[in-house]
Amino acid sequence: MFGRLLYKLLRGNRGRLTVALIAVISGAAVISALLNIEFDIGRKLSQEFRTLGPNLVIAPRGGIQTEDAGSASAVLMDQASVSAAVAQTGSSDVLGAAPYLYIVARVGDTPVMIAGTQLDEARALNPSWKLQGNATASGCIVGRNVAQRLNLTPGAQIEIQYVDRQAKMTVAAVLDSGAAEDGQILAPLSAVQQLAGLPGRIEIEQLRAKGDDAAIAAYAKKLSAALPSYDVRPIAQATEVEGNLLRRTRLLVGSMVVLILALTALCVLATMAALAMERREDVGLMKALGGSIGRIVAIFVAEVGVLGAAGGLIGCVIGVGLAQWIGESVFGASITPRWEIFPITVALMTLVAMTGALPLRLLGRVKPALILRGE
Amino acid sequence: MFLRLVKESFVRNPRRKALTAAALVVGMAVATATLSVALEVGDRMAREFRSLGANLLVTPKADTLPLQIGGVDYRPVNEGAYLNVSDLGKLKMIFWRHNILGFAPFLDVPATITGKNEIHTTLIGTWYEHEVPVPDGTTFKTGVRSTHPWWKIQGRWFDDNAKECVVGATLAANYPGGIAPGQTIEIANRAADSTVAAQPISLTVTGIVSTGGAEDNAVLAPLSIAQNFSGHSGQFRELFVSALTKPADALAERDPKTLTPTEYDRWFCSPYISSISFQMEQALPGTEVRTIRRVADTEGRVLSRISTLLWLVTIAALIAAALAVAATSAATVLERRVEIGIMKAIGASNSLVSGIFLTEQLMLAIVGGLIGFVCGAALARVLGESVFGSPAPLKLVLLPIVLGIAAGVAIIGSLIPLRRAARLDPAPILKGE
Repeated sequence: MFGRLLYKLLRGNRGRLTVALIAVISGAAVISALLNIEFDIGRKLSQEFRTLGPNLVIAPRGGIQTEDAGSASAVLMDQASVSAAVAQTGSSDVLGAAPYLYIVARVGDTPVMIAGTQLDEARALNPSWKLQGNATASGCIVGRNVAQRLNLTPGAQIEIQYVDRQAKMTVAAVLDSGAAEDGQILAPLSAVQQLAGLPGRIEIEQLRAKGDDAAIAAYAKKLSAALPSYDVRPIAQATEVEGNLLRRTRLLVGSMVVLILALTALCVLATMAALAMERREDVGLMKALGGSIGRIVAIFVAEVGVLGAAGGLIGCVIGVGLAQWIGESVFGASITPRWEIFPITVALMTLVAMTGALPLRLLGRVKPALILRGE
Repeated sequence: MFLRLVKESFVRNPRRKALTAAALVVGMAVATATLSVALEVGDRMAREFRSLGANLLVTPKADTLPLQIGGVDYRPVNEGAYLNVSDLGKLKMIFWRHNILGFAPFLDVPATITGKNEIHTTLIGTWYEHEVPVPDGTTFKTGVRSTHPWWKIQGRWFDDNAKECVVGATLAANYPGGIAPGQTIEIANRAADSTVAAQPISLTVTGIVSTGGAEDNAVLAPLSIAQNFSGHSGQFRELFVSALTKPADALAERDPKTLTPTEYDRWFCSPYISSISFQMEQALPGTEVRTIRRVADTEGRVLSRISTLLWLVTIAALIAAALAVAATSAATVLERRVEIGIMKAIGASNSLVSGIFLTEQLMLAIVGGLIGFVCGAALARVLGESVFGSPAPLKLVLLPIVLGIAAGVAIIGSLIPLRRAARLDPAPILKGE
């Protein structure tokens, strides 16, 4: 009986209910999209912050050189043990790592700093580097200032001299970083190690670890336990900004969710108020036939609940699509749909629709006699 | 007659207006609050980014290549070019001077800590918080405090006018016996020659600094000490500048030389990082201003993404507000079908009926919009306070916009049911069908 009444009511008032349904669906779509973004924005933002480059440095303890100009007596680290420790501790925590070995060599008559590194890794670690030339080619990457001074363009040949050894290299690309690398030549690590006569030795290792300040510090601790003879230092530049921005964006999106929820409730409320006016005759008849007010209101509330749940579900599906679109257009990457959003949104929308049904309370005041008389 | 009808409708039946008025107040409050926050967001977030530190680096144009390994500079001392500290005030005279939030000059001197254990290091001269005279007669307080806010100090920073220094964390840990705040170190210029005294100076250590960079192996001291120490009085080698910028767009990416005069003016008058660095190069001749890509790129990308996202959210909230107002307006008109029937039965034309209702809605919209604006301003304060820590300023420009939205949405919302009502036959309505 209850179910049949509910079904008839839902079918009988299609026009009005469609308006309410559209309000609920659009509200649910926007809210589920925003919630999806709210959950995913931390990951998206931390990806953006990768352009800041490394956030951890492994350096030898006692990293002070006591003699001049790139001498072999500088305190160095063993490349194999560092990369083994990084691989062992950081399979899930480390986003990238690059070793460096610096020497001061000569190109022609000019002394230049040569940074031996794994070029691919170094570039992955520093997404903000702007390279000119064919960066994928083998050869070395020349800093902007070095290229200017030595008149080098991509494709040129250079000869690097170090004490009595020399190496010939092709310039693959010119680098603009706005930082120290602009005054260096980045060359393959093995070639530099050979040139310096320091096979298997590196001076520092730069890493980018995942997560916030605390996660980075925890990983640094883990790493220094694995490498007791070396020094692991976090570079704290980004974490504070990242945390603050994340908190602020979340707060803003969160307050917008609340505001939009309130507005959706208002929309449903208006539709329900109009519906209640139209339903006065139905209610009068029900009451005249002996329906208790509690039962009548229960039927209407159930009607609204069905509306909220159905609208919430449809809206959620649209919202997931909307979140994808926002993700693509704002972050250039899709946003992972989170399944916990479905129950949250459906529950929220049902609640909002029930609140919107408050005007149906007025039906309790309906006097059957007056209604049936046509007043 | 018309006015009396409208007046009567307001006075006789205030409860009927309540729902529309409430929707208007809530909707317009949300519109005001979201718009004032959205207008403010870019600027606030950009300021947040300045705790990333400097985004511009100024170097002498004709400098030699740096040869610095492990915090020790291998360049011959007298090689390379220097810049004058006395010119720095000019930076606060450029068009975008208020966007220059801070700068710090650096002068590196190869040095040796003397004593029972000799150790080679670099003495870096800079400012922590120094008052720079600006040509317009004011002073500007700046230093690494604003350009490198992420440097961690244990103890306290040096006083810019005292014989004090801070020591890099690695150097302090590796120095035999360690270096702790409160201690005094003797430091000598490693490349002493006829122009520079070899006599070591003694500095009081006030703190241990940890930067994650070359400074961890160096001693940082007030710039004036490093200048006297190296014989380069009044000079420095590098300047880090922290400037508030606008994310780069298509115009900022283009070469200023190819711009038309109008585009050039627009470029010059926008705080793009490229236009600010161009103006700095003009103010400090003989220099090259470079963008620190790491910082500037991150800032530009994240800022433009967050503000796009927030604008999208704002638009969603505005649409929701418009829908809510339109729906309530529609509902109130529908409720009064009987009234419309009577009016038509006694001879009112459709245009008169619409006129009365639209005037009513318009008055409601203005009153509701005004109250909504006031509530929205309060809401914006609360939002600004909780999100940015300081309230968003009230923008009166928004008042006409909000009132316009309110009027437009209320009228559009009531037009649809009014047009339907116009088609109605009065007889069945009066009969109660």
